[in-house]
Amino acid sequence: MNGEAVVFWVFSIVTVASAAVVVLSRTLIYSAFALLFTFFGVAGLYVLLGADFLAATQLLVYVGGILVLLLFGVMLTHKIYDLDLRTETAQFAPGLIVAVGLFVILSATAVRTRWMDLPRPPAPTTREIGRLFLGQYLLPFEAASVLLLVALMGAAMIVRRRRDA
Amino acid sequence: MISLQHYLVVSAALFSLGILGLLTRRNAVHVLMSIELILNAANVNLVAFSRFSAGNLGGQVFAVFVIVVAASEVAVALAIVLTLYRLRRTPNLDEADILKG
Amino acid sequence: MEELLRSLALFKPETALVAGLLLVVIADSIGAAWRNAAMRLLTLASLAVALGLAFNLQASGAKASIFSGMLVVDPLGAAFKVILVAAGLLTVLVFTFRNSRELHGLGQGELMALVLALVLSCLLLAASSDLVILYLALEMVSITSYVMVAYLKGDRMSNEASLKYVLFGAASTGSMLYGLSFLYGMTGTTSLPAIQAFLAGGVPEANRFGIYAITLLVLAGFGFKIAAVPFHFWCPDVYQGAATPVTALLSVLPKAAGLAIALRFFYGTFSAPGMSPWDLEGSINWTALLMVISVLTMTLGNVAALTQTNMKRLLAYSSIAHAGYLLMGVVALSENGARGLLVYLAAYLFMNLGAFLVVTLVHLHDGSFDLRDYAGLHRRAPLLTVAMAFFLLSLVGIPPFVGFLGKLYVFAAVIEKGMGVYATIAAVNAAIAAYYYFRVLKVMTIDSGNEDKPVLRLAAADRAWLVAFALANLLPIFFWGQVEAWARGALVLYAGR
Repeated sequence: MNGEAVVFWVFSIVTVASAAVVVLSRTLIYSAFALLFTFFGVAGLYVLLGADFLAATQLLVYVGGILVLLLFGVMLTHKIYDLDLRTETAQFAPGLIVAVGLFVILSATAVRTRWMDLPRPPAPTTREIGRLFLGQYLLPFEAASVLLLVALMGAAMIVRRRRDA
Repeated sequence: MISLQHYLVVSAALFSLGILGLLTRRNAVHVLMSIELILNAANVNLVAFSRFSAGNLGGQVFAVFVIVVAASEVAVALAIVLTLYRLRRTPNLDEADILKG
Repeated sequence: MEELLRSLALFKPETALVAGLLLVVIADSIGAAWRNAAMRLLTLASLAVALGLAFNLQASGAKASIFSGMLVVDPLGAAFKVILVAAGLLTVLVFTFRNSRELHGLGQGELMALVLALVLSCLLLAASSDLVILYLALEMVSITSYVMVAYLKGDRMSNEASLKYVLFGAASTGSMLYGLSFLYGMTGTTSLPAIQAFLAGGVPEANRFGIYAITLLVLAGFGFKIAAVPFHFWCPDVYQGAATPVTALLSVLPKAAGLAIALRFFYGTFSAPGMSPWDLEGSINWTALLMVISVLTMTLGNVAALTQTNMKRLLAYSSIAHAGYLLMGVVALSENGARGLLVYLAAYLFMNLGAFLVVTLVHLHDGSFDLRDYAGLHRRAPLLTVAMAFFLLSLVGIPPFVGFLGKLYVFAAVIEKGMGVYATIAAVNAAIAAYYYFRVLKVMTIDSGNEDKPVLRLAAADRAWLVAFALANLLPIFFWGQVEAWARGALVLYAGR
């Protein structure tokens, strides 16, 4: 087992195990912290895949932004002194069957399909991605700014106390 | 040797776990976390394909946009959860039952 | 730089909307008293300009791929843009903050900006030619819709509806994204024309299953937008929970954009090379799959509507059923099918907006969405009742109303392709649907009740709109030639780079 394999297995197990905790844990706070590890694990996988810019973005936005937002959401929707943040689970068995079935089908598809074979040796990506943002993918780049404007306005409008029009 | 398929199976596991959470969780924030798992699974796919299959960075650029979208969705969803909590005092989906059928 | 200028020249309707959006946001930050009127005017102006530019675009017959292959401009897309912008413009014109009781006292600026953003996103979605912009535009449409539904934040039902909408939507589009990632891996590119070229070269046996998986996952996203079975669960709750003007908008815009991109995605991407875009790769029986979805959708919509007493829920199920009929145009897999889709969408726009206008006005005066409170309306609001009769008959699909025209086109397209059984099922569905539409009419005209309630005094503007929509439902059949010409000019689907 070479170094790459060891790192891969470590990150993969961290990711999948913590994802399992997110989904199976009864306590919302445990799930939130497990999600933190999932995001870190995924960032580690990105580094292994040579996606340095993306790994940094994942940490900054997902961990630093989205997870913090989720934690606020968890905290603000429970009484502070109520530490037993338990949530019940709906019918578990049918969901489990569907999920396992999906996993089998998707893994089988992943293994059987002949994917395109044009490997890209790992290299720093930031400059190239920057070029793509302002070149080929300029329109989505600009459209994303409209999306963010709408989301910003929308979230702020929904949350603020009602004021007169 | 770690190949493409290894990464794809990991992402399949993440996706399936996300679907499991979606189907079995009552709390809206829990469901939101499961959806984040789904999005991350797709992102892992995209980056893995970018490395092994496509020879270009389209997958990584796509993944950046997915992260942007995920952030927007979470912001809006949590805004709604918060408002609902203020009105109702519970973010549980099953108790959001005024709308039937 | 030249590429950018060339692209912008073909991007004018969207540019008008972006300019409007930015101006409305700026205007909203000014504290002056006239700002509400100014924002409304800005929105209307922006939409009107965009509509004119979209008409121009269709008339010019331009066919090009712009923004480095992100978007594609063709007459079919331009026709969809006309319908989308017209829907936005009519909704903003007709539903004001005065005639909708639900919107009283809420901030106007954000809603105007959201409408512009929604129309813009729908235009981007309908013209997408790359996986990245497809996903981004789809999510833009979705997120804008979530916020618009959550607008009535003081109302618990509205909040629950928008929460369900967000979670269901995010899950569906997340699944679609997973499918799109597989497509990227299989072809090595995010550009739809390049994907088409690659797939047309032949799909190895080992990849066949992968294609099935991709199709089903992608259908999750499209099905959610169109509210097709089994991704329709959010629809009745969201339509009921949202403010009625928002519901009216959502019943047309995301559906039309979703249908446009479904058409473009499946036919543009999975078609065989060198032939017209309507000939599909033989690997999957698309027709059968879409037909099943279409039948399930129309049947479920119609059956569920039979027992509804809440007008908004009834119209929600009705619009699910209509998505089923609209899918007939997609299933028919031909030029006639696309034409049927366009005509039906235009007809649907007028029928649906009219019906929602009536519901809003009744709510404004009576404060109720319950069908039982509609009894005796023929005495209290004769103009309203007559107009509603037009809309209901149009929704059933009875000649000479425009709803009949729409159904005629899609039925003809389907029968022409030899799908007799399918057409029969659809016809039976239309007959079933007639029951609940006629029931509403019966309650309004024949049922007694509410004798003590006063006569409805409608504002002049509302009367004018009722008459205008009623005429829009009645007259097109007399201008069949023009309708035909408009639809025929739109039939070029450009799938090139």
